[in-house]
Amino acid sequence: MEVNLTAGAVSRIISREVSTERDLKPLLQVIELKEVQTTSKNPQQQQEPRKSERYRLLLSDGSLTQQGMLATSKNELVKSSKLQVGSVVQLTQYLCNVIQDRMIVIIIELEVIVNKYDIIGKPVAAPRSSRLTQVPTDQPGAVMPQANSLGGSSVGGIMSDKLNTAGATLQQPTMNHWQGSSRLNESEQIRNPSANAPNFYPKTDPSAGFPGSSPTNRPFGVQSTGFNNTRPAASRPQSTSNFQSIPSYQQPSPMYSNRGAVSKNEAPPRIIPISALNPYQGRWTIKARVTAKGELRRYNNARGEGKVFSFDLLDSDGGEIRVTCFNAVVDQFYNQIEAGKIYLISRGSLKPAQKAFNHLNNEHEIFLDSTSTVQPCYEDDNRIPRQQFNFRTITDIEGMENNTMVDIIGVVSFISPAASIMRKNGMETQKRTLHLRDMSGRSVELTLWGSFCNAEGQKLQSLCDSGEFPVLAVKAGRVSEFNGKVVGSISTTQLFIDPDFPEAHRLKEWFVSTGRNTPAVSISRETSTVSRADDRKTLSQIKDEKLGTSEKPDWITVVARIAYIKLDNFCYTACPIMNGDRQCNKKVTNNGDGKWWCDKCDKAVDECDYRYIIQFQIHDHTGIIWVTAFQESGQDLMGVSAKDLYNLRYENQDDEKFMEITRQVMFNKYMFKLKVKEEIFSDEQRVKSTVVKVEKVNFSSDSRHLLDLIEKIKTNDLGPSASKAEFTTPNPGPDYAGVGIHGSRGIAPTASREYGLPVNQGGQYGNHYSGSRLRESAPSIDIFCNSCGVTGHSSTNCPTIMNGPLQSVGRDYSDRMYSGASVGRGSGTDFSSGGYGGIPSQQGIGLGCHELLV
Amino acid sequence: MQDMDISSPAAFVNGGLLRMHVGRKVRTVLQVTRSDIGSVMGRSTDGCQLVAKGSPPVPLTSYVEVIGVAENENTIRAELWTNFGDTFDASNYDKLCQLANGELKHLFL
Repeated sequence: MEVNLTAGAVSRIISREVSTERDLKPLLQVIELKEVQTTSKNPQQQQEPRKSERYRLLLSDGSLTQQGMLATSKNELVKSSKLQVGSVVQLTQYLCNVIQDRMIVIIIELEVIVNKYDIIGKPVAAPRSSRLTQVPTDQPGAVMPQANSLGGSSVGGIMSDKLNTAGATLQQPTMNHWQGSSRLNESEQIRNPSANAPNFYPKTDPSAGFPGSSPTNRPFGVQSTGFNNTRPAASRPQSTSNFQSIPSYQQPSPMYSNRGAVSKNEAPPRIIPISALNPYQGRWTIKARVTAKGELRRYNNARGEGKVFSFDLLDSDGGEIRVTCFNAVVDQFYNQIEAGKIYLISRGSLKPAQKAFNHLNNEHEIFLDSTSTVQPCYEDDNRIPRQQFNFRTITDIEGMENNTMVDIIGVVSFISPAASIMRKNGMETQKRTLHLRDMSGRSVELTLWGSFCNAEGQKLQSLCDSGEFPVLAVKAGRVSEFNGKVVGSISTTQLFIDPDFPEAHRLKEWFVSTGRNTPAVSISRETSTVSRADDRKTLSQIKDEKLGTSEKPDWITVVARIAYIKLDNFCYTACPIMNGDRQCNKKVTNNGDGKWWCDKCDKAVDECDYRYIIQFQIHDHTGIIWVTAFQESGQDLMGVSAKDLYNLRYENQDDEKFMEITRQVMFNKYMFKLKVKEEIFSDEQRVKSTVVKVEKVNFSSDSRHLLDLIEKIKTNDLGPSASKAEFTTPNPGPDYAGVGIHGSRGIAPTASREYGLPVNQGGQYGNHYSGSRLRESAPSIDIFCNSCGVTGHSSTNCPTIMNGPLQSVGRDYSDRMYSGASVGRGSGTDFSSGGYGGIPSQQGIGLGCHELLV
Repeated sequence: MQDMDISSPAAFVNGGLLRMHVGRKVRTVLQVTRSDIGSVMGRSTDGCQLVAKGSPPVPLTSYVEVIGVAENENTIRAELWTNFGDTFDASNYDKLCQLANGELKHLFL
């Protein structure tokens, strides 16, 4: 196949006509490829000097060769032999710098067009000094000699003759004249020096390319050009805002340090994009906004104490990089740096990034030292975004590896209260889980640790409790696996609640219109994130929800009173023999001779142990069930050991005391933690509940729980009414939103919300009050009742047409609600239509209000 | 129990809601700040300073419930006093007052 290399590319590079991909994307051939080892030592960090490999290549355009360095991100191409000697490549992103008098092309991105090809042409190395010859004529001979016809130019005056160093200086021709042509027209240049930023270059070869520049002798330190008095060897970024062919960040370099009158140009430094930073570039300046400011950390290691702090920067091109300061430098800059503000930073050193801690998209990190400069920018630059996100959809997370950092944004569909967790190192920390949903139809569990729980976590909780579904954006969350994929917060995570981003607005719109009603598939398997103890149920729910019937037992908490205790056999004789560190506990039978025989241990014991096995009934406002309590919970309940109680009753015959103890227990309200499981009992399936824990009800917290339930009912009420528009009749619709409820938005009831109270629960409460008519195990928000115009039930279940004794009550109630007449409407406190009789999907309150009505 | 006039139900109030029931029978729980002969000053569950006139029980615990007629927006002429002990969850009670005077008013009066 025919391959045409870009002729003249190398000479144009050398002549500085071309310096980045914006000028030219040349096709070149790799003539040589060599690996070089560079060690990076960072004394401040006390790290092992790291060796990184870099590849040096010799590129040819068919006639001339040019040295280049390949960015480490492209090393893979060489290793996989895609890039080798003979490859023809196109440079798609590169910089040209002069290092030690030589032009080097730093290749950031390239495309391998052909893996291997015969060497085209007979390329030779471009001559070093006498470039002049290559330069298109009509230039006055050598660059050097002439000092300046540029008298007229508005030069910041300087070294006219200074430039006469061995290498000529380069003058950067003005852009206007560089319309991609390789001809430098000196005269033109001269005419408009001021308009542009002529720059000059550290002498030598490459510079030779600059013809005409007798004017080149002049380092044009024109206002717009800044140049600094630093070592000539290094290449300098140069300025030129109006330069097209020359990147704006290549500065002229002084090198005339010992040449006498050098006027230092106080012009603003040239700003380069963060993505162009590389260790080979000596002096650079970046203008960026601080997106995150780290904490000041102190540490202790072999070398003694130290302190460190880092901050992250983002510039207008979207490039990000982390900046770190150690020890004394921390003091210098810590107070200066503020998150969200823009700074000009220069004279830092560039080292490879520590990927373990630095998750920004940059190979390098900046380290500041005492000579670095940080200058705040007072006028805010709107071109620099405040924060940069790379949002992924939740479906993407499913495919991600653990420990990848990710930015996500979603609607919070559920948040749990903060819980205290003991960490491995013995320290306690706070944890909150929440579920995020996005437009991909998936939801993921996000865990907040530590301080996030109290700050953002609490805010989110109150937003959710008041019926809102806030949008949460997460920057730098970590993906891990725990029964499916989950995302967790780390110290550098940032959370943004209801941010003002277009993605957030889109999400919100999606949610309000469709998302809220579409079920989301969770990629984090839903093992109850809410700890079991919080799983409050009513007794009737055990039957209605068929708890215990799945393969695993269900653990629930109920608040109930003890109705009856079966006292005949409240304990059994147990084997006390220890099996390892557990007691056998099997029932022992009386041998007849005063000893007790254990089947399991095959032994007889003199004294048996007595263990509780109490069966009792508990009831709450919804129902009554039998439960069994074993030794530990039995003892907690009765307050005395089984043995003592046994003795009390049977040995001492102290009935009075016995009754006293039992009387104290009866009819008290307790909080029971139950294990509910279905068992097969001689061909019969029965759901048995075992008391795992029993404790006296803490009325204060129980009240709070009830108050929360009330809140949820109120907000749920608004759901069906507010969301459906096609309401007829007594639908106070939009009024509801304003009435009585403190400004909370209506939300679709229960279906998409997981409050720990399943959809069914409402049904249960409703049932109790309104009798069997309203029995609905799966209230659907889509059912629209034609009779009363309220969603949530159908006309068959409609409370307004209930029969029987309850009807009058129900009707009255409904009438009051729907006609909106007297019920405090005037005072603006109407009880919304989702009242007791109205929508069975609502959750009632176990307050015995029903009795009040009747 | 003392003679309790239950001819009209007492509305649950806190400091802010008392003005809605001036002249009517109210009940509230106060955290006693000062106790004199003939009156007790206390903080209501929403933080207002109210005065309960009458003869408090002796000894008086930190929290006391008073039932009586509201004279003005910060005074109650108490007829019935009940010691509620030294620990009391004021925020729960406050929420109760809000609910009882809000949409659920008809459940209480």
